[in-house]
Amino acid sequence: MYNVTFYLRRLHSLVGLLVLGIVILEHVMTNASSLGGPEAMNSGLAMMEMIPKPIFYGLEIFGIAIPLLFHAIYGIYIALQANNNPGRFGYMRNWMFTLQRWTAWYLVPFLIWHIFYLRIYTKGICGVPMSYELLDSYFTNPIVVVLYTLGMLAALFHFCNGITTFCMTWGIAKGPRVQSVVSVLSMLLFLAFALVTVAFMAHYVLF
Amino acid sequence: MAEEQKKVRFVIERQDGPNDKPYTQEFDVDYRPGLNVVAALMEIQKHPVTVDGKRVAPVTWECNCLEKVCGACMMVINGKARQACCSLVDKLDQPIHLAPARTFPVIRDLLIDRSVMFESLKRIQGWVEIDGTWEVKDAPIQNPYTAATAYEISHCMTCGCCLEACPNVGPQSDFIGPAPTVQAYLFNLHPLGKFDAPKRLNALMGKGGITSCGNSQNCVEVCPKNIKLTTYLAQLNRDVNKQALKNIFNH
Ligand code: HEM
Ligand code: SF4
Ligand code: SF4
Ligand code: FES
Repeated sequence: MYNVTFYLRRLHSLVGLLVLGIVILEHVMTNASSLGGPEAMNSGLAMMEMIPKPIFYGLEIFGIAIPLLFHAIYGIYIALQANNNPGRFGYMRNWMFTLQRWTAWYLVPFLIWHIFYLRIYTKGICGVPMSYELLDSYFTNPIVVVLYTLGMLAALFHFCNGITTFCMTWGIAKGPRVQSVVSVLSMLLFLAFALVTVAFMAHYVLF
Repeated sequence: MAEEQKKVRFVIERQDGPNDKPYTQEFDVDYRPGLNVVAALMEIQKHPVTVDGKRVAPVTWECNCLEKVCGACMMVINGKARQACCSLVDKLDQPIHLAPARTFPVIRDLLIDRSVMFESLKRIQGWVEIDGTWEVKDAPIQNPYTAATAYEISHCMTCGCCLEACPNVGPQSDFIGPAPTVQAYLFNLHPLGKFDAPKRLNALMGKGGITSCGNSQNCVEVCPKNIKLTTYLAQLNRDVNKQALKNIFNH
């Protein structure tokens, strides 16, 4: 009657691209600043600490927690509606569609672990602020390094391929040519982000 | 003729009734130039003997036009959804595997029930309202700028290839699928049909409508009539967005 599905689905799409997109860009940029050494990263983190606490918590709750919970829970519901079939229909975009769902499945446990351990336990309960040194020592465990690198790459792929599907979902890219141009551009963006990710993860491990 | 007759091996997934267990049987058919899957099934029907020499019930399937216009003969051939009547044996890897398109209820062997697509066409109002209290004059002229698009979409033969390939169509989802969705655009383009465009767009915004598409683009890859389904899905996405704005701000 009121087309609830339509609005929920469009909201899921907007939240994924605009809200969670900003969150992931912030993560890439902050971590990339570690390539400039401890001072560069710590001064950036200190700038964030200067945001008054009520505003910071407000942003965390309304800008990250609620949108992420909505996108993740409704996303699981969406992913369960697909019967991924790249084995039978191995076309490029069908693989992307499948990877969009596989990365989502990886992100569910990864983000629960990431948020509970670093944000809620380490920073919230133990009161240890985020710093270059903290991450540098956290990333001495090879299993953590591998799982975090995969988590970052999964989120980045999911986001970049999401730009392509967003353009289709909203009817922005209509014809076959513009759709493949958008697809190629967003994968180039993913490659660039992936290189940055590998660089800062390697930097944490090696230096 | 000294040469030995060349044979084509068919591995067919069969099923005796809607609720029976599927099983496979293999048949050899005499090769001849230009042989297609429907012609081979007709040979099997005439002589339903498996490769082990067992006489079995003839394989059931559906076909009608034999020239890729009716849609009836859709089945899964070597893993892909396609029309049996235009699948040339020469262009297929052998042995040739045939199976029913299980996105639809199987009636028997390769025969499926595609009536769900008809129900979906009713849901999106896939027709033009012509009966009324007004006088019916000559047919209205088509917009020459959209006539080519309308002609292209009107080729849809509800074969169901696109539904079989779509990962979001199946028992796990209520998506009506690409074919009925895109038909809404055909009727929205029609000079009389466009009066009902808001009705169709609202139907597409409902549960199982256009929002259930996840952009895997399998539909456009498999459509035997080469309908640019994903292009029209994107167009309809634009149209439902506009309709949503109207729904919100016009009341
Ligand atoms: C936590 C688990 C997550 C799950 C279960 C999930 C699930 C999904 C699913 C199933 C889709 C496809 C929607 C569709 O086809 O309509 C999707 C799209 C998308 N997701 Fe996520 N997601 C998650 C996290 C994220 C994160 C962290 C980001 C941001 C970096 C993100 C950004 C996007 C974007 C931009 C789209 C494209 C929207 C569109 O096609 O219109 N998602 N997500
Ligand atoms: S693009 Fe949409 S309708 Fe077409 S096969 Fe993919 S999910 Fe189905
Ligand atoms: S859109 Fe193409 S594949 Fe789908 S039912 Fe129509 S003709 Fe068949
Ligand atoms: S028999 Fe009509 S499409 Fe094949």
